[in-house]
Amino acid sequence: MERAMWAEKYRPRSLSEMRNQTEIVGRLKKFVETKTMTHCLFAGPPGTGKTTAALCLARDLFGERYMDAFMELNASDARGIDVVRTTVKEFARIATISDVPFKILVLDEADNMTSDAQQALRRTMERYTESCRFILCCNYSGRVIEPIQSRCALFRFTPLKSQDVADYLNHIAKQEKVDLKADGVAALVEVAEGDLRKATNTLQAASSLGKPISEGSVYMVVGRAKPKDVRDMLDLAFKGEFLKARQMLRSLLVQYGLSGSDIVKQMHSEIFRIDAPEKDKIALADAIGEVDFRLIEGGDEEVQLSALLARLAAIAQETR
Amino acid sequence: MPLLWTVKHRPKTLSDVAGNKEAKESFIAWINSWQKGIPPKKAALLHGPPGTGKTVTVQAAANDFKFDLVEINASDKRTEEHLRKIAGGAATQGELFGRNRLILLDEIDGINLSEDKGAISTLVETIEHARCPIALTANDPWDPKIRPLRELCFAIEFRRLGVRDSLPYLKKLCVSEGIEADEQALRLIIDRNKGDMRSIINDLQTFTTGRKKLNYADVEWLSWRDRKDTIFDALRTVFSSKSGTQARRATDMADVDLDMFFEWIYENAPLQLTDPRDLANALGALSKADLYLARMKRLQAWQLLPFAIDQMTIGVALSKERTKPAWTPMRFPSRITSLSRTRKERALRSAIGAKIGAKSHVSSMAAVKHFLPYLSFVFQNNSEMASDITGWLDLNEEMVQYLSGKSIKEKERKARKPVKVKERQLATRKAARRRRAASS
Repeated sequence: MERAMWAEKYRPRSLSEMRNQTEIVGRLKKFVETKTMTHCLFAGPPGTGKTTAALCLARDLFGERYMDAFMELNASDARGIDVVRTTVKEFARIATISDVPFKILVLDEADNMTSDAQQALRRTMERYTESCRFILCCNYSGRVIEPIQSRCALFRFTPLKSQDVADYLNHIAKQEKVDLKADGVAALVEVAEGDLRKATNTLQAASSLGKPISEGSVYMVVGRAKPKDVRDMLDLAFKGEFLKARQMLRSLLVQYGLSGSDIVKQMHSEIFRIDAPEKDKIALADAIGEVDFRLIEGGDEEVQLSALLARLAAIAQETR
Repeated sequence: MPLLWTVKHRPKTLSDVAGNKEAKESFIAWINSWQKGIPPKKAALLHGPPGTGKTVTVQAAANDFKFDLVEINASDKRTEEHLRKIAGGAATQGELFGRNRLILLDEIDGINLSEDKGAISTLVETIEHARCPIALTANDPWDPKIRPLRELCFAIEFRRLGVRDSLPYLKKLCVSEGIEADEQALRLIIDRNKGDMRSIINDLQTFTTGRKKLNYADVEWLSWRDRKDTIFDALRTVFSSKSGTQARRATDMADVDLDMFFEWIYENAPLQLTDPRDLANALGALSKADLYLARMKRLQAWQLLPFAIDQMTIGVALSKERTKPAWTPMRFPSRITSLSRTRKERALRSAIGAKIGAKSHVSSMAAVKHFLPYLSFVFQNNSEMASDITGWLDLNEEMVQYLSGKSIKEKERKARKPVKVKERQLATRKAARRRRAASS
């Protein structure tokens, strides 16, 4: 069946199709040539090609039947020690019969694994190092425990350059026979911020309107896909309407399914725009950072964030 | 509406008033002392908790001794002038048509000093010049504002009624109402109301409305209400303690587990602490407690528990610095109800996430974040593209409906914008028509 989602349909199938992260791709190609590789840690923001690179590497190494020697685990769906101990072991201990002497196991979103699971993984990595190579993908390499980092070659993926995003979008538009206007491309590049998946998804959503894609249609998608509720929530807190702000926070978390750290990120980018003394803003930015830290520590998203909203309301009261 | 039993069955004579035998006797003795001229204490202060029979005793005595009862209670206006007219007039004129008078000033501690200007001094004056008995009632005899009165009064204490006094009374009441009641049930009602006869009778009436039988099972939920009362008390302790040790005791009072107690405090903090700075401090303390609890559970480090309790009780209590005191009712944690209300929706969403994740090499969580909003946009605008995606991802009908915004919540959200657009279009179309009509 035709891949109906463009982000999947136009995902490169081979390292030679990847047009960015050239330095990384070059190193990975060396792995293919020599049929050797180390454990890898792919770190970088979403939509910069980590999973794609892993998939391309596997396909280039193992050919079309790469699925026999390749396994993908999503740490955040199947996290925990049990998964590492059973699934990973099962896969790793059976040797391959191809001319490549190892299998590849991709652990996506590895920074979402608990540190206990990571510890267990570390032992597994050592034990099956003969027959299996690990590629760990994460947004922040710092969230992966040191012993694992030291066992991996680190590959830092960076946000895509505007020109690369634009070229890629124009390529898709041409294939899909979509009329993509110049201002549409510019808007897509701007909202994507180097995240190719986001750019592609936005393009597809905009094209669903059935009209030439202009700046207007792009922002229509963005406006609907990412409600400006975080802004509204901050405004409410700032007006002293704490209960309403908390209700909004709850609906962002529960109804829209935003994660706490998503909201933290958006709050951080909004906080410097609000009308408050500069000194308070840096204090708030610090408080936001503290919330982010606490969320990693396992704090409750709503409780931690609403404490921040209350702090904002108090600052507003004092400024008035 | 049927008559309230507390009114309908109000004792007509002193012998019908349940309990507080001693208090009744000393009241009778004091009334009798008026027959031999004016006694040294011209007023009696009947004090005790609600529902112990203070007012009823005075009313029944007036009936028994054939006094004319002049009654002024909390719902009446009690300004100086008003009091002077009623109490002053009645008290100093002695008798009317040869009948003795008895003045009842009910709920005297309910006097509002700022509204009822001079009320207390007027009362003092009235008592000093009184020529007939004056009875006052109060819950708290030590209330500082009635101190000048207390010294002039013969104090009579009313105590909470025990089962021994209230049970026979209730049984009699049941007989006269034709109700067959289980003794155990009556005992539970008495027990839960802590000797407050008025609320005991009110409960009995509530439980037997529309029926003639009362079993233990019918009143069993009262024990639940008691639990609720303890959590309210515990919350009040948290929100009104001035000292740390007192606030910390709240966790022992609350008959729920600590996580639930946390939710109650978290829910009610914004209602109880109306000053934003106080609230910020309280939520700061709660967020620290939350962090301790999270660490405790994650690391199984149970020794962290006391630190969490400190923050959620003492930390919250001491945050109350600027909030003006006011009585605000406590509320059940809405987070819990909202989570259970949205459970189905969240499950559906992560199921869609899993479908996307299976095809797009991401976790279901990441799929919800990175794909769902765009898919939803597609599903709402382009049915052809939507059906391709439906087939590719193998979505079921419910998932398609969710993405198209047909679930209830989504429907509301969606309705907001398009309707406005439609209205605007309609308005411009109307305007154009009008313009055309005007030009032709």
